[in-house]
Amino acid sequence: MNVYHNTLLVAVLLIMIGCDSPKATEKTAEATNTVPTAKWQEVERIDLDTIAPIGLTYFKGNLWIADGDNNQLVKLTKAGAIEVVLQDLERPMHLDGDADYIYIPEYGKDVISRFDGNQKTEESMEQLDAPASISVQGARQAVADFYHHQIWYNEGENWVAFGEKGKENGQFHYPTDVQLVGDKIYVADAYNHRVQVLDKQGKWLQTIGEAEKMNATTGIYVNDKALFATDFENNRVLVYDLEGNLQQTITEQLEKPTDVLQVDNRIYVINYGSKELVVYEYQ
Amino acid sequence: MKYIIMLAAMLLIGMSSNNVQAQNNEKDNFLVQVDGLGCPFCAYGLEKKFKEWKGLKNPKIDMETGNFTFTYPATQKLTIAAIQKQVEAAGYTPVSVVINRADGSVETTKKEVEVTKKTTQASQKATITVAGNCDMCKARIEKAANAVKGVQNANWDNSTQQLTLLLSNATSVQTVEQAIAKAGHDTPNAKASDKTYDNLHGCCQYPRLK
Repeated sequence: MNVYHNTLLVAVLLIMIGCDSPKATEKTAEATNTVPTAKWQEVERIDLDTIAPIGLTYFKGNLWIADGDNNQLVKLTKAGAIEVVLQDLERPMHLDGDADYIYIPEYGKDVISRFDGNQKTEESMEQLDAPASISVQGARQAVADFYHHQIWYNEGENWVAFGEKGKENGQFHYPTDVQLVGDKIYVADAYNHRVQVLDKQGKWLQTIGEAEKMNATTGIYVNDKALFATDFENNRVLVYDLEGNLQQTITEQLEKPTDVLQVDNRIYVINYGSKELVVYEYQ
Repeated sequence: MKYIIMLAAMLLIGMSSNNVQAQNNEKDNFLVQVDGLGCPFCAYGLEKKFKEWKGLKNPKIDMETGNFTFTYPATQKLTIAAIQKQVEAAGYTPVSVVINRADGSVETTKKEVEVTKKTTQASQKATITVAGNCDMCKARIEKAANAVKGVQNANWDNSTQQLTLLLSNATSVQTVEQAIAKAGHDTPNAKASDKTYDNLHGCCQYPRLK
């Protein structure tokens, strides 16, 4: 009898071990049938008419666009209308904005202009040759100097230059965009086809994007989790985590994208080729 | 009588200096057509380089047509060759230059369209790989190919890196490859020299063919 009972007990135990529970089955199914992860997806396209967009910023509740071909700064109203606000600029490029001003690098005359919504003032920077971008973070500023292949940096007093022409780490080949993020400086190193990250002493920290073989990395935007880079000739936006791992390649509705910006849960990409603003949401 | 002579002399001097000033104010008008204005950063750079010439006024680039116009003091007698050189130094391909001089004369590089005697010659189609990056490259590659006698048509596609040629018996694919390499672009059988490649504009520095 004991042998019979022991055998029966062992058999029951073996049966229990051998069978998956319904919950375990579901979990296994879930592991193999992965739920699609959220991605940036196009939700809206805005025709910019004759505006040839180079730079994009957000200022006092509106998107503002630097129209490089027509030498003007335009505002996109909440109703979707384009309002020309400032004219007679000289090739305005990648913008930045804070609570008080829009900062406009004027590539054609080597000045950084400040616009408060009504009035413009200029700061000549004779050391520049074609400023392509500016980033402002409190008293700190950084400017991408296109023809000198340098980044100019200022913590409220003197300007210092980082970099030189070349393809090595810390060198640049026509930088077109720059963004200050905490203690780091992110640079769209356009014709090295990559993004570089420096510290505020100009020391090279990281290179992102070389594996994806971009062709003209013209614009960047960095938040606390991700880096977005516009790949001009390949008509795409690449999304990386801050370690440089590719998370997503956006190709919908892109034609020679020049800049990208995030506001709340949306990213905005301006297309120089199709003269459009494309809006994506994380879904 | 003495006063009349003095007055006449003063009038003559005044008219003479006015003439000099008028000449100094006279401008030549320039129309340069440029190929490959696809990248705004580079196109604005072309304009900026020209603006380094003191006296150059009213520069205007039309990205759609590739027309670049400006005025320049007539006394400087700016030549077509100097303009072509400046355009090429900026990395672009000059298609044509038209100068309307202040004195009314016109100088131009534009040629009458050749009668397509080419079509009377037998044509062969060929496709070759040509390395390049952008619209500026496209303009340069096609210009180099079309300049080869016997090439009837050349069309380069950036996305495929393929140049499609229509050739007569007067030339060969190898000759075309050599011409393209001389312009700065690698082909399978002819490579650009390092010096020529290094002189290309940044956006044109494509990954070299091995």
